[in-house]
Amino acid sequence: MTGFPATSAAARGLACCHVCYKRAPEALHRCPRCGAPLHLRKPESLQRTTALLITAALLYIPANVLPIMTTEQLGRSIDSTILGGVVLLVHHGSYPIAAVIFIASVLVPLGKLMALSWLCWSVARRHPTSHRERTKLYRVTEVVGKWSMVDVFVVTILVALIHLGGLLRITPGSAALAFAGVVIVTMLAAESFDPRLIWDQLGDSDE
Amino acid sequence: MDQERIACLHCDLPITIGELRGGERAACPRCGHLVTSRTTGGLERSLAFALAALVLLALANTFPFLAFKASGLESVMTLPKTAVDLNSAGYAPLAVLVLGLIVAIPALILGIIVALVVPLLGRRRAPWLVPAGRALFLLDSWSMVEVFVIGVIVSLVKIAEMATVILGISFWSYVGFGVCFVAALSSLDRLELWREIERCTA
Repeated sequence: MTGFPATSAAARGLACCHVCYKRAPEALHRCPRCGAPLHLRKPESLQRTTALLITAALLYIPANVLPIMTTEQLGRSIDSTILGGVVLLVHHGSYPIAAVIFIASVLVPLGKLMALSWLCWSVARRHPTSHRERTKLYRVTEVVGKWSMVDVFVVTILVALIHLGGLLRITPGSAALAFAGVVIVTMLAAESFDPRLIWDQLGDSDE
Repeated sequence: MDQERIACLHCDLPITIGELRGGERAACPRCGHLVTSRTTGGLERSLAFALAALVLLALANTFPFLAFKASGLESVMTLPKTAVDLNSAGYAPLAVLVLGLIVAIPALILGIIVALVVPLLGRRRAPWLVPAGRALFLLDSWSMVEVFVIGVIVSLVKIAEMATVILGISFWSYVGFGVCFVAALSSLDRLELWREIERCTA
């Protein structure tokens, strides 16, 4: 492979180990210090990221349509969805908590899906947006990802805690599993995207 | 000797990083990627926090986490019970995932830190240093201790108006565990750790 910008380590055939940061010739295939596989760029980065993003987007549908938990109170059972839970919290006046759940369960996963899709698209189309800004955007998607798990943990805690026989009981719904899937798959998608691809276009425009 | 030539993992710029002093951090001059940071105390401090975190995690798994009282009835939640209840509700994969993210993976990370830092501080070579180091950096993005703590707080607010909720010993232990866990991980300077491993295995 050629065509790496002159300022990159890859242009000199050098790869930096993802595990221990050792810089070594890629021709060795394995890091001489820790034995992890060496690559100039993450293999099939765009393809893998796109596939994982599509999976996450598909899982996002049942995660929002199906109930995330069911409350059984004196024989009555009420299903609640992720958005339903947010609306209920707003009705009860718990605005800060409603905001936490809305940000963690709606804004973050959707934002992550859109940001990573856009990054993939911008790399494939050699879009001239600032390299630094795009790398920053990538870092945000990387850091923020795991916080979406909050709602799944809330369901877990409520299920384990609220167990009062026939009086009051909370059971998990399928959306909890689907949503946990969304979080895990988007985290994998962020991990498989290689931000160095953004910088491989350095020759295209002047930064 | 202690100059490390690397390439930025976010923009592939070749950079040379010298040995950091306590409180210093190394970032890529072109894209701003934080490569590593050094705390005063370094490895020793990480070991101390890791041991404290392991003790607190053991406590957090033994005592009641939260208790819930309504209409004269009471139910108690413990950490292991969260997985048991998810499993009996037919959600075994979720049970494994949750317990893995909040207990098993963090415990494994702490165990690895202890198994790495003890021989490194004594300058002894141990056959597991390299695989343990690799496992550490593979696992470190898959622990959700802090996220779980926020989850507990959200749950408390959600049920506070339904009934009385009592915070158990385990809750406080888990919060303390979370603080020590984050401190143990962030006290590790990745470059220093691998330099030490290289020194002990060479």
